[in-house]
Amino acid sequence: MLGLEIAIKTIDLTKKFGKLVAVDHINIEIRKGEIFGLLGPNGAGKTTTIHMLATILKPTEGTAIVGGYDILREPKEVRKIIGIVFQDTTVDRNLTGFENMWVYGKLYGLSGSILRDRILELLRFVELEDWKDVTLRKYSGGMIRRLEIARSLLNGPDILFLDEPTLGLDPHTRVHIWDYIRRIQKERNITILLTTHYLEEADALCDRLAIIDFGKIIAMGTPDELKSKISGDSIYLKVDKSDREKLHRFISRVSEELNTQPKLLSDSRIMIVVLNAPIAIPKLFEVASECGVAILELTYSRPTLNDVFIKLTGRSIRDISGSALDFIRLRRATRFGRR
Amino acid sequence: MGSFQNEFVASFYLQVKRFWRAKSRVLGSIIQPLFWMIFFGAGFARSVRFPGPSSPYMSFLIPGVILMTVFMASFFSGVSIIWDKEFGFMKVVLVSPASRRITLLGRIAGDALIATFQGLMISLVAYVLAPDLNYLCIPLVLGVAFLVSLATSSIGIILASKIRSFEGFGLIMNLISMPLIFASGVFFPVETMPDWMKVIAYISPLTYGVDIARGLMLGVSSIDPMIDLMAVSILSVVLVSLATLLFEKTTIE
Repeated sequence: MLGLEIAIKTIDLTKKFGKLVAVDHINIEIRKGEIFGLLGPNGAGKTTTIHMLATILKPTEGTAIVGGYDILREPKEVRKIIGIVFQDTTVDRNLTGFENMWVYGKLYGLSGSILRDRILELLRFVELEDWKDVTLRKYSGGMIRRLEIARSLLNGPDILFLDEPTLGLDPHTRVHIWDYIRRIQKERNITILLTTHYLEEADALCDRLAIIDFGKIIAMGTPDELKSKISGDSIYLKVDKSDREKLHRFISRVSEELNTQPKLLSDSRIMIVVLNAPIAIPKLFEVASECGVAILELTYSRPTLNDVFIKLTGRSIRDISGSALDFIRLRRATRFGRR
Repeated sequence: MGSFQNEFVASFYLQVKRFWRAKSRVLGSIIQPLFWMIFFGAGFARSVRFPGPSSPYMSFLIPGVILMTVFMASFFSGVSIIWDKEFGFMKVVLVSPASRRITLLGRIAGDALIATFQGLMISLVAYVLAPDLNYLCIPLVLGVAFLVSLATSSIGIILASKIRSFEGFGLIMNLISMPLIFASGVFFPVETMPDWMKVIAYISPLTYGVDIARGLMLGVSSIDPMIDLMAVSILSVVLVSLATLLFEKTTIE
């Protein structure tokens, strides 16, 4: 693997709940120090995957190596080196921030001044130091999330699992949480596996990601790699049209040079679809100046991860009603499976 | 310090702190026993001439109600492990490298301490209602109550391990705890019970606790106190072991 160390490797990891296959033979390798995202709609199998990797759910088939330890044979070793923030909050609202951290630290065998110092350092990190003696009933959703993130770092984990870390938070708070996650990766050199169904989150945060749907990995790569699987970028141009002849020469030259068919849009802009806009744009300026056409305005848009998901599944990840239905269906199947 | 202490302390502390912070729970826990004492005790004493012990009914009832308070409190906290499973803190325990057995022991001990504290509170009220009982032995009564609540909290945890829904919580609370209380000699002596009820009485740790308490405070008992003590101890050990064994195998979902 090009000398890159692997933090997590799953081998045909599978989980069935009765007839429902929640996670279907997934094989992923997560490199040390990267932020890896599992992107998919609700009920795709993201949480189930994380629960198996964190050793609290037994796989039906396959296994995984987490930080060098097998989740089936050495669960206790795995538990020591991971931190996790669950999708649902797992704090006690009757306790203060400090007390919640303290109980957690005790479970990891920490005590005395070491535990105290670590709690204070981490509370400072998530900017909750002033709130440490306030019961969580007075915390906002974002603050509880921050506390849980701080708490997950108490045992000094090598690998951190974040299950939908910004679920239900407002956009401002979300960006704030992203900041912490990036800093955890950079300053503490922790490998992070996060799940999300927010496209912007996967795009903004992840070094690499896997798109998961109905328990199967359907695509994997950096956000840019994934997006480059889509036809290309769209460039929108506004040019000086006073000289029709120059304009026509410009358009035909562009179509030759960039091997694409420029389209004149109704709002009198020109749309050009290219494979890679950052490479194509300098060329456009070159051609324009050769033809003596002035470019007044240029914008381009890159394909989004949603475009990628649509291309792969024919459904939109944003399609709330669809994914909610899938979710209910999964929940129902899961319930039956248990009986 | 060994990690034994840490895990034990963590869950013990959590149970006690939770209770202490929930003021309504502190008060609510003694309201029901109080009603039993005041309304049932006072009303029943006047309407029926109690055939068993020669003492007034209130004095007969009070040692039982003290133990019942402890029983209900520890049963409630035992079963409320369902909440932890559903609302998450259990996941934190399961995903940590901490020993599950020791974590659960800490929890049971915490439950028992809270329950015993509630027994103390109701004892203070009882003193006002029936001052003629022997209150000097309350520390001993509470010691026995602590033993009983170890067993009861474990029963709650064992039952909760088979239940996944909140609806199940109410069902267990009513279906199991009420018959156990009625069959344990709190309101009427075991001797006068029909045989089928006696069967329940003899497997209930509460029966023996009530009998010891009544023996100490009122001087009336139906079973040899040494047998009482042995029965409570054996039931506690067995039930606590069973609870930890089941918890060891807990997974989410």
